[in-house]
Amino acid sequence: MDGLDHNVPFLVVSGLGASPAKPLPTDPELRERGILVRSELSAVDTREAKTLLRFIQEADTSNLPWQSRDNPKKFKFKVRTIGREFLLPPRRARLPDNLDAPTSAFVLHSPFSPLSPGSTLYPDGLIDTQWLHKHQYLIPSVYLCFYTLTSDPTLATLHDNQLKADINAIKNAISQSGYKTRLAVVILSDQSPSTVSQFQERLENIRRSTGLDPKASLFVLPTRRTEAELETAVDNVLTAIFDQALEYYRDLGRHSRKKKARGVAPQPTIPPTSGTSHTLSLQGWNTRYDFKTAVLAEFRQEFDVALKSYEQAYETLLGEDLLETIPTWNPRFNDARLLADIVAIRALKCLLLSGQSTAAVRRWQIHNDRICDIVDRKGQGTQNYGWKAWQARWCAVMANLIEKVNFPELEASSLLFFRPPEKNLSAERLQPWELLHHSGYWYRAAARHLLDRRTFAQSIPEEDRKPPDESSKAGIARKAYNYDTYMCPEPHEEYPLQAPGVNHAQLIFDYLILARTEFQKRRQKHASVELTLDACRELEILGEWQQILELLAPLWRNIAFRSEGWWDITEAVGWTLRRAAFEAGQKELIIAIDWELMNKAFSRRPDWHYDISKALDGISVEQPPVISLDDEHLTSFIHTDFVFRHEEGKAGQTCSAQLSLVSSAFSNAAPITLKSLNILVEGGLREILIKHEKTPTQDPPSKTLEFAKVVIKEIEVSRGDAATDDSDGASLSQDKLIVLQGTQDLTLFPGQTRVFEFDIPLREPGEAKATSIHISLESEKYSLSYSMRPGRAASSRQWYSSLSPKRQLIRPDPHSIRILPRPPKVEIVARRMLELYYMNECIELGLDIMNEEASDATARMDVTLRGSGAPPYEVRIVGGVAQSSTLGNDDKTLRGIQMNTISMGESAAVVLTLSPINMPTVVDISIKLLYFLVSDPSTPIIQEAFYRLNVVSPFEASYDLLPRIHPEWPSLFNAENIQNLSGSDAVAPRSCGLAQRWALVTRYASFAQEDVLISDLEVKVITTQGNVTCTASKVEAFPVGGRILNPKTIEEAQFDLISQKSSLDDRSPATADLAFTIKWRRADASDTVLNITTLPLPRFFVTVSEPRVLATVSYSSSPSFPASPSRSPSKLLFLDITIENPSSHFLTFGLTMEPSDEFAFSGAKVTTLNVLPVARRSVTYRFLPVVKGTWIRPTLVVRDKYFQKILKIIPTEGMKSDKEGVLLWVPPEDESEDGNEVA
Amino acid sequence: MQNNPLHITIFPSYDTTTQTYSPVRTPLQFSLLLSGTLDVFEARSRHLANPTAVGGANMLLSGDFGLLHAIDDRLAAYGFETNTGVKFVAVVDMRGRPAKNAAAGSGGGRGSSGGGIGGVGLRDNELKPVFRAVQTAYVRLLQNPFYDPDETTPLAGAKRITSRKFGDEMKRIGETWMPGVTAL
Repeated sequence: MDGLDHNVPFLVVSGLGASPAKPLPTDPELRERGILVRSELSAVDTREAKTLLRFIQEADTSNLPWQSRDNPKKFKFKVRTIGREFLLPPRRARLPDNLDAPTSAFVLHSPFSPLSPGSTLYPDGLIDTQWLHKHQYLIPSVYLCFYTLTSDPTLATLHDNQLKADINAIKNAISQSGYKTRLAVVILSDQSPSTVSQFQERLENIRRSTGLDPKASLFVLPTRRTEAELETAVDNVLTAIFDQALEYYRDLGRHSRKKKARGVAPQPTIPPTSGTSHTLSLQGWNTRYDFKTAVLAEFRQEFDVALKSYEQAYETLLGEDLLETIPTWNPRFNDARLLADIVAIRALKCLLLSGQSTAAVRRWQIHNDRICDIVDRKGQGTQNYGWKAWQARWCAVMANLIEKVNFPELEASSLLFFRPPEKNLSAERLQPWELLHHSGYWYRAAARHLLDRRTFAQSIPEEDRKPPDESSKAGIARKAYNYDTYMCPEPHEEYPLQAPGVNHAQLIFDYLILARTEFQKRRQKHASVELTLDACRELEILGEWQQILELLAPLWRNIAFRSEGWWDITEAVGWTLRRAAFEAGQKELIIAIDWELMNKAFSRRPDWHYDISKALDGISVEQPPVISLDDEHLTSFIHTDFVFRHEEGKAGQTCSAQLSLVSSAFSNAAPITLKSLNILVEGGLREILIKHEKTPTQDPPSKTLEFAKVVIKEIEVSRGDAATDDSDGASLSQDKLIVLQGTQDLTLFPGQTRVFEFDIPLREPGEAKATSIHISLESEKYSLSYSMRPGRAASSRQWYSSLSPKRQLIRPDPHSIRILPRPPKVEIVARRMLELYYMNECIELGLDIMNEEASDATARMDVTLRGSGAPPYEVRIVGGVAQSSTLGNDDKTLRGIQMNTISMGESAAVVLTLSPINMPTVVDISIKLLYFLVSDPSTPIIQEAFYRLNVVSPFEASYDLLPRIHPEWPSLFNAENIQNLSGSDAVAPRSCGLAQRWALVTRYASFAQEDVLISDLEVKVITTQGNVTCTASKVEAFPVGGRILNPKTIEEAQFDLISQKSSLDDRSPATADLAFTIKWRRADASDTVLNITTLPLPRFFVTVSEPRVLATVSYSSSPSFPASPSRSPSKLLFLDITIENPSSHFLTFGLTMEPSDEFAFSGAKVTTLNVLPVARRSVTYRFLPVVKGTWIRPTLVVRDKYFQKILKIIPTEGMKSDKEGVLLWVPPEDESEDGNEVA
Repeated sequence: MQNNPLHITIFPSYDTTTQTYSPVRTPLQFSLLLSGTLDVFEARSRHLANPTAVGGANMLLSGDFGLLHAIDDRLAAYGFETNTGVKFVAVVDMRGRPAKNAAAGSGGGRGSSGGGIGGVGLRDNELKPVFRAVQTAYVRLLQNPFYDPDETTPLAGAKRITSRKFGDEMKRIGETWMPGVTAL
């Protein structure tokens, strides 16, 4: 629409750059009567001038968005650059040529005024776009001239005078034209800003003689500076003259208001004589003035002022005295409508630019309603294509305005689809539509109106669609009455009978695509699908099949509607696309769509064949296409499921499984015959392939559920035949591949459920899962395969039974099966396993490997020992290899011990020998036998066995060390000793120090659980400390055959221990470490076995340095007690008290013997005994006991005279002691009698 | 986020030119229109995820999305989302009705609608009674042990609501509501 340009001040720039070839004005009026403004000086054509020109042209905002947020500059211009000449339009209209001689002086008016007879508006028009055009394109607000200031002093005066003359000439020309265009002059100087001041005087001269204002209209621009500085300077100049321009438009606006304020309608130059003598009414003039005022305010960018004037103009225009009075047959009616539209649009623009979006929508709605009201009352009504065309246009106008204004809230990134209302309106009850939605909504609304327009156009009766020359005059009149042709074609052009008329489909399509672009920008996916679908409907009418495919096919492939269950939408897209695909010959698409539309969830097309085999009927097929589809992208009317009967199965066995096929095709659809069914299983199962085999009967089934058992066999096929695209790459190296194949009639009737049951042999252990089911279809024209994952249908996870119609739900995940390894049938048997094993014995474990498989087996064995102190060991295959574990290696594992082939039913023996263990512990033995059957060498089978050995100590022992009197005491006066002491070093040292004798009593107990045979006992001296030699010897010899020790019994053994210091001078105490060794074997073990258990003894002192008192007893007749009974009739007892003094001191002891009732004694009652250093002395007492068979206590006190210390008397053989002292045994009477008898 | 339609009720609008009651769009067009509101739910949720969004927290808490968008100068869609993600959409014919009015609803949930008294506009909260009533009806539906909201159809996605009681309730809500009604 004309008259809708955004108005910005018009600036003419003269004299910059090479003068372009001057185009002749196209308007003859302008060419003939235009007022020429020209300059005699040549244009400035320097490099700087070109730069300046560029800056100025860049400042032209007429093509930018109205509210450019990127433009920070304060001024806006529509810039026109000219050379040195400019034509201003004539100020006054001409009188008509045919006018008679004037009767009086005519008042001439503007050529565009309704007062001028030459104007199109004469005599009663309102205003038209010529006036707007004049101000935007013909009359500049500012005429900007560029000149140079020469810096050549010789030419200065001449040039300056020329300059002055030229400026004055232009000034005069403009003022004579009657226009109030401002003149601004820029004088360019080749100096820099600092040096230009030297011309100050000349410039002042020019200013004075031209009368220009240095702040507003005369500018000096030194050009010797950087571009950025130059640009700033140009910006400053433009900002200054922008104020001038605003002033110019303000003057014009003031003029308009003044004219309106006069309140009278001006008289035309010549009163109208032809037609009606109607002239423009006062209201018309007011509208005209208000409109002008508003537009001029727009030039000034004062939109709120403009809006006020527009509203005034609008109200007056649509008021009772203006539009209502114009008859509709009058072209002025449509002119007025157009003006109303223009005013409304401009008002909308002002509202939008001032951010009042909701008010703008309201304004939009009000205009729509008022025009609707007027057209209904005065015009041809709203039930015709013309009105709909206008409504569509009215919506599109709003969309355009929104795009031009470019609200930040409505930008695609804002995620808002509509702009919130202005603050002052937000509390009101708003119509939802009054929140300004983005332009996509408006385009969509426009498209909807165009759809209505087409509907109305198509209902035009035939006689109106004929070209006008054929129709009668009455018809023309009727047409004029019936059809609103405001801004749209006549009915015979809108929808002609023969020729194509208005291309409605294209118009609608264009709007829809514009809308779709906006919706897509804002990620409104669903909404843009709707628009695409609508657009494709139009393309269908246009026959643009290829374009439909481009738009719709990607949508159809992945619309969310399918997964979201919007079936009606999927269906609509499907059918539209199918038609396009059919027309474009897209075979794959046709088949895919047909496949989907077979589902009875869609609505039924009554005349459709619903036979997938007829999908390509009507299309020539040269090479049958191969199509593969899947349930990711396309739904299907066939649903499949595949379930295993059991959750677990063992390798080598079979598991039954069911494949169910459910058809949910339309009941009248053709049955479908599949070529094959493929079940892909991941994990250790083969692919299952069921092929179609025709059976003679093809009648529709009586039951909806048909059950069939299928026999499947393992068949080796070459890879190509397997009909799988994606079988795993691991077996790619093999050309052959084994599938489980069966045959069955694979015809599926609509609504039928077919169940195939078969037994699947399980081979490899692991998890197996059915991943997808492929169904393949083949006809002469195409072959199709559809793959789906099992269990997506509602009827999934069910087990069908052939006997009962009841289906049972079996498990949460019946598509997978766990295949357990084949159970081993080779047994490992320990030949003899003991409950306890003992330390220090060599453990031998015999194992039998018994092959109970139905085939020979080759086996390898792994043995592992665990437990602290696990000993080195050896594994020996009887009749085969032996392998030992390495000593010191922590890992007590032997791997891969190769065994001989074990024949069926035979057994092999293995012996494990563990070295003796020195500590009580627990040893775990695990044996892993990996074997292969000769009949199936690829399946490894594993048998395992575990044994635990408890190793305990078989014996424990306790020890006592008792002092005894050594028969020898070294004499200081022995010559040998003396000699030895002073002897040469060469002589081997002989022990000649003090010697002491001890009795070691050991009591040892058996902790074994069975009898053990002790073959020998021994005490060993391991080490001694303190220069002592120590020898141990058995007191009595051990029986040669050994001695059986029963469990939990204690035995005693005595050893004689003699220790002798190496030197007499050395009198420090000495110790010895002893060990008690038991040589034994199990009572039932063979004689060759000898186990040695060594029990360490605590450390003993074997010589002491302190004096000690030893008591020895002897009987008168028999000194040995208790081995042989006493023979003496007198029964005298002899008590020897021996005091040893190993120290180097002279010691004196007092001995006191108390009398007792139990005995009589002879010897010193009180005596003193002196013992020399390193000497020994004895005192003997004789006792005659009065009691028999009891212990008697001689009360003897030995006191060290010097230290006044009582020494303890130490008993020896045949004596005992308690706290009080030593006790002596008196043999009983009868014992002697017994003794006598024995003797 | 599931976007399956659960239920759609379409109410007839009053056509001033033919003086009859008929829906302003075909069922397919209503389906498209309702699915179009899903974009708004999605965009709004994205918008709400951004903490600077005005009133975001409030809307998240109440689930009331208010005006989703106006389809044109006549139809406007209002939305509500329960905290389980079921969406109710009410499409209102702003042209109003003499006594009765128009339109339909659905989304991940569904909705219904009535129309206002012509031309006075609507406040967002005037739809609240509708959503409250729809939610009550839906909760009652869920209380029915024979209704499984996760049940799927042989095709894909959740099954549509087949309860007649629920349908009747939607009808009642749509026919009873008008602006200013505070309880349904």
